[in-house]
Amino acid sequence: MMIKTERLMLRMPSNDDWPAYRDYRLSPRSTAPGEDIGMVWTLFAALFGHWTLRGFGRFIATLNGRAIGHFGPYRPEGHPEGELTWTLWDAGLEGKGYAFEATQATRDHVFGPLGWTTSISYIDPVNRRSQALASRLGAVRDPLAACPYDGFQVWRHGKGIVA
Amino acid sequence: MTSWKDTAPLLTERLQLRPPVPGDCDAALAFFQSDRSRTIGGPSTLGRSWRIFAELIGHWDLRGFGMWVVTARGEDRALGMVGPWFPGDWPEAEIGWMIWDDACEGMGIACEAAIAARHDALTRLGWASAVSYINPTNFRSIRLAERLGARHDPCAAFPPGKDACLVYRHPAPEGRP
Repeated sequence: MMIKTERLMLRMPSNDDWPAYRDYRLSPRSTAPGEDIGMVWTLFAALFGHWTLRGFGRFIATLNGRAIGHFGPYRPEGHPEGELTWTLWDAGLEGKGYAFEATQATRDHVFGPLGWTTSISYIDPVNRRSQALASRLGAVRDPLAACPYDGFQVWRHGKGIVA
Repeated sequence: MTSWKDTAPLLTERLQLRPPVPGDCDAALAFFQSDRSRTIGGPSTLGRSWRIFAELIGHWDLRGFGMWVVTARGEDRALGMVGPWFPGDWPEAEIGWMIWDDACEGMGIACEAAIAARHDALTRLGWASAVSYINPTNFRSIRLAERLGARHDPCAAFPPGKDACLVYRHPAPEGRP
């Protein structure tokens, strides 16, 4: 399973992604900072297990062969609905539109081949860059949606919304 | 390259050990949310239980092997998981076991499965040694380790955060010291 965009290739996770993923998870950029390497490995393994359990999962975006983040549908048991996620591992790659480009592609993927009719993204209220990206993607705040993360914002993507 | 999903099952007198499949998820989630999982850090929420099972499957992707799902021979219902476990930060590889169903306790299922899984790890997978990390309050598990011929190894390293556990070392493969 692969998706090609203008500048990026999105593919399933591979063993070789471990060092870059680990470094991201142990950095302050992590969505769950302060985790030890054991938990980081658990999360990495669960990225793969998600694909087997659901038949879909998050893609690793690569830029000229270099893995730069994980993007796409996340649907763990216990969450009220499927999430569209984006995570750029390296701050040095911010501001170039890579997350936007990757997420446009994964949104088309969930609304196309996966057949989702709606999708949300849970965003930390302090994460302004991520909110700006959601907005640029055409998502809107959904204050009525259930959220599994305390205090997080819920942004809803609409099928057919063109950013 | 063949997938780990095609790994041939191990057969014992009464049991089949096969790779996990999505259909095992309900039984896994019931176990990880139950009090039966207390000796391995449970009970867990539904979300965390799902992530644990996703990790158990992802271990196969990352290592090419992992803990087997144990069923009765000729049946497909998961009774538990037994076998090799070697997450990224552990000092050495483990043979682990968990029986998910209360009704399957006391029938020697974990023992029979662990013998087969250990033999496979020490031969096909080529492990030089294997340990089992056991919660000191889990007397059933300690008895099983001893029944398997494993012995408490006070010199062994602990996985991070597991320094309260007991390390049982399994006998070396035949012909090796």
